[in-house]
Amino acid sequence: MGLDLDYLARTFLLSLRGLPVTLGICASTLLVSLPLGFALAIIGIYRVRVLRKLASVYISFARGTPVVLQILVVYSVLPSLANSLAIRAGWDVDVFALNPLWYAVVVFSFNTTAVLSEIIRSAILTVDRGQYEAALSSGMTGRQAYRRIILPQALLVALPNLANATINLIKGTSLAFLMAVRDVTAIAKIEAARGYEYVESYLAVFMIYLLVCGATQALFTLVERRLGIYRAPVVAF
Amino acid sequence: MDRPFNPGYIIEVLPRLLAFLPVTLGVAAATALLGTLLGFVLAKAKLGRSRVARGLADAYTWVLRCTPSIVLLFLVYYGLPAVAKAAFGVDVSLRHRAFYVVLTFTLFFAATMSELMRSAYLAVDRGQREAALSHGLSEFQAFRRIVLPQAAVSALPNVATSLVALLKEGSLAYTVGLVDLMGQGSLIIARGFGAWSLETYLAAALIYWALTVAIEKAAGALERRLSVGRRGLA
Amino acid sequence: MLSIRDLHKSFHRAEVLRGVDLDVAKGDVVAIIGPSGAGKTTLLRCVNFLERADRGEMHFDGLHLDMHKASGKDVLAIRKRTAFVFQNYNLFNNKTALENVTEGLIIGRGMPARDAEDAARRALDKVGLSNRLDYYPSKLSGGQQQRVGIARAIAVDPDVILFDEPTSALDPELIGEVLGIMRQLAREGTTMVVVTHELAFASDVANRVVFMDEGLVVESGPPDRVLHAPAEERTRQFLRRILPAGAPLG
Repeated sequence: MGLDLDYLARTFLLSLRGLPVTLGICASTLLVSLPLGFALAIIGIYRVRVLRKLASVYISFARGTPVVLQILVVYSVLPSLANSLAIRAGWDVDVFALNPLWYAVVVFSFNTTAVLSEIIRSAILTVDRGQYEAALSSGMTGRQAYRRIILPQALLVALPNLANATINLIKGTSLAFLMAVRDVTAIAKIEAARGYEYVESYLAVFMIYLLVCGATQALFTLVERRLGIYRAPVVAF
Repeated sequence: MDRPFNPGYIIEVLPRLLAFLPVTLGVAAATALLGTLLGFVLAKAKLGRSRVARGLADAYTWVLRCTPSIVLLFLVYYGLPAVAKAAFGVDVSLRHRAFYVVLTFTLFFAATMSELMRSAYLAVDRGQREAALSHGLSEFQAFRRIVLPQAAVSALPNVATSLVALLKEGSLAYTVGLVDLMGQGSLIIARGFGAWSLETYLAAALIYWALTVAIEKAAGALERRLSVGRRGLA
Repeated sequence: MLSIRDLHKSFHRAEVLRGVDLDVAKGDVVAIIGPSGAGKTTLLRCVNFLERADRGEMHFDGLHLDMHKASGKDVLAIRKRTAFVFQNYNLFNNKTALENVTEGLIIGRGMPARDAEDAARRALDKVGLSNRLDYYPSKLSGGQQQRVGIARAIAVDPDVILFDEPTSALDPELIGEVLGIMRQLAREGTTMVVVTHELAFASDVANRVVFMDEGLVVESGPPDRVLHAPAEERTRQFLRRILPAGAPLG
């Protein structure tokens, strides 16, 4: 056969134009999911009565079903739901003209919030209770203790898992084409179908994902090194 | 969607989807088996002395970790026949679609498993192996009888997580036309010209959810049974 | 200055404190001794509201509190006027030695950063760590960590410092440096309540020793009496058990 390198390069550049969409979805999703995940983690840790039950059912469902199904479910129900809401509220907006990007953010937030809440919860639980007590006896309020002592330490513990979750999120957005979002994968897919050069097209996106994930990983490693200055050096054995 | 949501249809469609559960589970089982074997080879390379083998195994894991399932699935599905034809003159394009699916997810699962095996092996105190050797066990016996059982227990929760991930990602197989649980769902929807799509997807989601919970429960029970004698001092 | 009346505390069904009274006057050094499980640490933690008492009253320099019902505001007020030194140091892992001391001053008490830093430097100088200001706890020895813990306590100029077995997590050769600083503080008239296993320290430094057993104060008084001529049989048994026969105290 032989690869059509020209075509590959062209698709690569073309698909790169979808990168802002891919990264935009990821960033918006994280922006939504981090606070929500944190709230759920706190609910879990402090065993808030009814909310805790609801949260654990939600987390189990969101983590126990394929993302592709979550996409298909949301995409088959959300537009018309939003439309009927808009009509009832008397808004003059055409919901169906809305950028599908927002549906993508809803789905991925639904999924990522559950993942992040588990990561944050277990990270907070790794911080020794004595840290909290020492903060209280220094005259801090519970909130101050969390902000200044507990969370910075928990964040560091959580970073490797957060890196994983972010990479999984980036990979997950490759399914956004199911919602007619024109991200990296969607563009390559269109190109592939048009020119019948499937292998080249998918090789192109494959390379883009490698670059993006590599950069993400590097970023997290950098942050971890930055924030981790207080840790004892790891003794090699 | 101008008709109301009909929860009754979920119940109605469940058995029709469940009829294809064996396909989903069969593909997952085959993948898990092959993936574990390949994962073992990779883990051995990662723990071994050869620097080249270690580097290759690490690079393999890293690349797979960065690749979206759908991209690799398409790459294998479209690329493999082309490669096979060019290299060996074999036409594999007519082979069963499950073949591509199993191959794709085996590549992923092996990467995950190799990492799990590596860290589980390292988590077992090296004194365990040394004690076994000094009691006259061979290297293989020490591994088989002392190290492996302990490593297996510590890896169990992560293995369960990986199996769940495999099952969930495997649902993408319908995009290359495999008729499993998910594929049957989209066939049903297509035949109804898009009617009842929400109910059908929800039914499929419920089945996946039940499978996930079952795997996690089973792993939890197994872990409790296997961790006898593993109680710490505290 | 500080007095506790009828303090009760149970964990699940185990009654750990069964009606404890404690009085501390300004300048007192009170050593609380007794077998493990006597409730010494729980008593101290209840005073700082790290545990919530089931019942009890507290008089603290004009404040009068029901220890079970005390409001968050009262608790904060008490904590700002007391300091706690933990058995396992509990230095903030993500803060340097200096920041460990300034944190409670700036955040807890709203002191301007510059003043807080001056106070922290003085406190760390006093415990002999002025050359370790920028060290993170992970880079300090146990003894140094506990000295930072003490600096953290004295910097806030509290009415009383509560020490919870401050030397029991330390290697034997590091105990001396911590006890030395505590001695120094006692000489300067710092009010201290010390839960300890160091009988020699109790004998030398404390002006009052409280012996606790099974959730009650068995006897208390000057060290000469409680440690050398105890009135209660349980105190005698305890002292016999932990002191080699005929060994002098202190």
